[in-house]
Amino acid sequence: MEPIIEVKNLVKVFHSRGRKITAVNDVSFDVFKGEIFGMIGPNGAGKSTTFSMLTTLIKPTSGIIKVSGFDVDKQDDKIRPLIGIVPQKLSLYPLLTARENLELMGNLYNVPKNVMEEKIDYYLELVGLEASADRYTGGFSGGMKQRLSVIAAVLHDPQILFWDEPSTGLDPQTRSVIWKLARKFNDEGKTLVFTTHYMEEADNLCDRVAVMDSGKMVALDNPESLKESTGSANLEEVFVHFTGEEVRD
Amino acid sequence: MTIRTELRDSLIVAKKEFKILSRKKALVIPLFLFPIIMIVFFGYGMGGTVKNAPILIVNDDTGRASSFLVQEIGNYSGKYDGNPMFSVTYTKDMSQSEAESKIDAGIYKGVLLIPHDYSDSIAKNESTSLTLLTDSSDTTTSGIIVNFMKQLLAKTGSVILNVPNIYGNLEYLDFLTPGIIALTVFMGSVATTGSAIAGEKEDGTLVRMLMTPVSKRSVILGKTIYQLILQLARAVVLIFAAYLLVGFHMNGSWLIIALVLVIFTLGGVGMGIVMSSRVEDMESFFQLNMLVTMPSMFVTGVFFPLSSVPNWMRYIAYCLPLTYAIDAMRAIMIKGQGLNAISTDLIILSLFAIVTFTLGVHLFRREA
Repeated sequence: MEPIIEVKNLVKVFHSRGRKITAVNDVSFDVFKGEIFGMIGPNGAGKSTTFSMLTTLIKPTSGIIKVSGFDVDKQDDKIRPLIGIVPQKLSLYPLLTARENLELMGNLYNVPKNVMEEKIDYYLELVGLEASADRYTGGFSGGMKQRLSVIAAVLHDPQILFWDEPSTGLDPQTRSVIWKLARKFNDEGKTLVFTTHYMEEADNLCDRVAVMDSGKMVALDNPESLKESTGSANLEEVFVHFTGEEVRD
Repeated sequence: MTIRTELRDSLIVAKKEFKILSRKKALVIPLFLFPIIMIVFFGYGMGGTVKNAPILIVNDDTGRASSFLVQEIGNYSGKYDGNPMFSVTYTKDMSQSEAESKIDAGIYKGVLLIPHDYSDSIAKNESTSLTLLTDSSDTTTSGIIVNFMKQLLAKTGSVILNVPNIYGNLEYLDFLTPGIIALTVFMGSVATTGSAIAGEKEDGTLVRMLMTPVSKRSVILGKTIYQLILQLARAVVLIFAAYLLVGFHMNGSWLIIALVLVIFTLGGVGMGIVMSSRVEDMESFFQLNMLVTMPSMFVTGVFFPLSSVPNWMRYIAYCLPLTYAIDAMRAIMIKGQGLNAISTDLIILSLFAIVTFTLGVHLFRREA
């Protein structure tokens, strides 16, 4: 299996009000080309920080991340065109219409105009938003925003799609649409990396699941092996096995 | 990342800003109307007072009457806390044009020229005339000086006071308008830049945009292009409104005004970026904005001449960039002066722009 993301000895330290917080503590792993890779872990485990470093938003304190062979520290501008990001905070301009939001994203990714219009129409129909294309997104429901954000992330046909908590706060119908989309993108050859709090989602979608806790990666394998090795019936039990019962801050 | 892509990206950002602005009707209208309302209300409603206004007396006469007059002006102390209204300097043998240039340079607010035959004429009870030059670009001070002289001479009798208007017939409105334009551009560029960024931080759109290949330079440049167009448009609308509504006299060059406003807007945008980098949401930004821009509004001499404020206030004013923008705008718009007269202002404003912009680019982070 060919790695598309290589992470070696990754560390991220934040300094806040004189306190030193090690959010990610010596983490190493690879993500293989074409797989769906999930990250789970309790709040404060370091998932989001890792996610932000993988997507070039913040720089590692130490360690190496290579995405498609490029170093996030020095070649982040080479990486950004190759990846698509669906952030947890669905960030759309409320005073722009759905189509205008998509056009803005397409333009910033330098997608040729004719290709872009075609794709926008195709994807809007695919996610069932064609009737709302010319409405301001300020009035959209959470599910509509999630669907629109996904389109915004794939207009430039990225190799890797990063997806932060795809189905948090969504109804089961939207969640099933989101899962179908994820599989469709994966079938098209895209590598998917996402974080989630839903064990069912990780179990259903992921080829491999990484369990993070207190800044460390405590387990990484496919869902079946994780269940077998810990003698668990489902991922929920795997999760508790590795991270304990204690409630986190 | 080539310059072409960066420019292309910044135009995409600028276009987006205009599109969003055009949909914020509740913002567009006040943005243009607020300064016009200020001119109308303050222009008709306010006056001012004078303290320690520098006055030059050119006395070419050696007789008794003139020394009596000079003494009386020198001894006059105003009603405000015992502070004298004027600080008087004496000289002789100065031509009117030389005196005018002293006023132009801002050294004196008024120059009284006493002819060599003044005392003789008074002694013979003949009619004689004095010439009083005032800096009429400072309408409050010059009005008070003229009134004071008229009252004083009324006691002496047959003296005619000539008051040539160096800058044409000016009113308080003419004094006010350049200041309001500078204030409008300052508050506008700081507030709209800063609040837009703070808002985009709050709803996550800024981070989302910075996840794309667009560079932060392009984002800042795009926002700057948008601000330059917006603020210049506001200034032009304001000047025309002042002309139509209150008969404002525009004496100077549009090009130099544009230059001052472009430099000043850059500084304002930089300051907005710096301020927004210190806050996480819009509400905090507006509180911070209040703290930073309010003193500028009242201390820098938008509504009254700096010569009439206490020293401590004047020293604060000299630390605020708005003071220099107002000074430059008045020099151009009222006095019709050129680049030479405002070179100090321009240097200080450029420094302001360079410092805030450098700091802004540095503090504006890609990180969430």
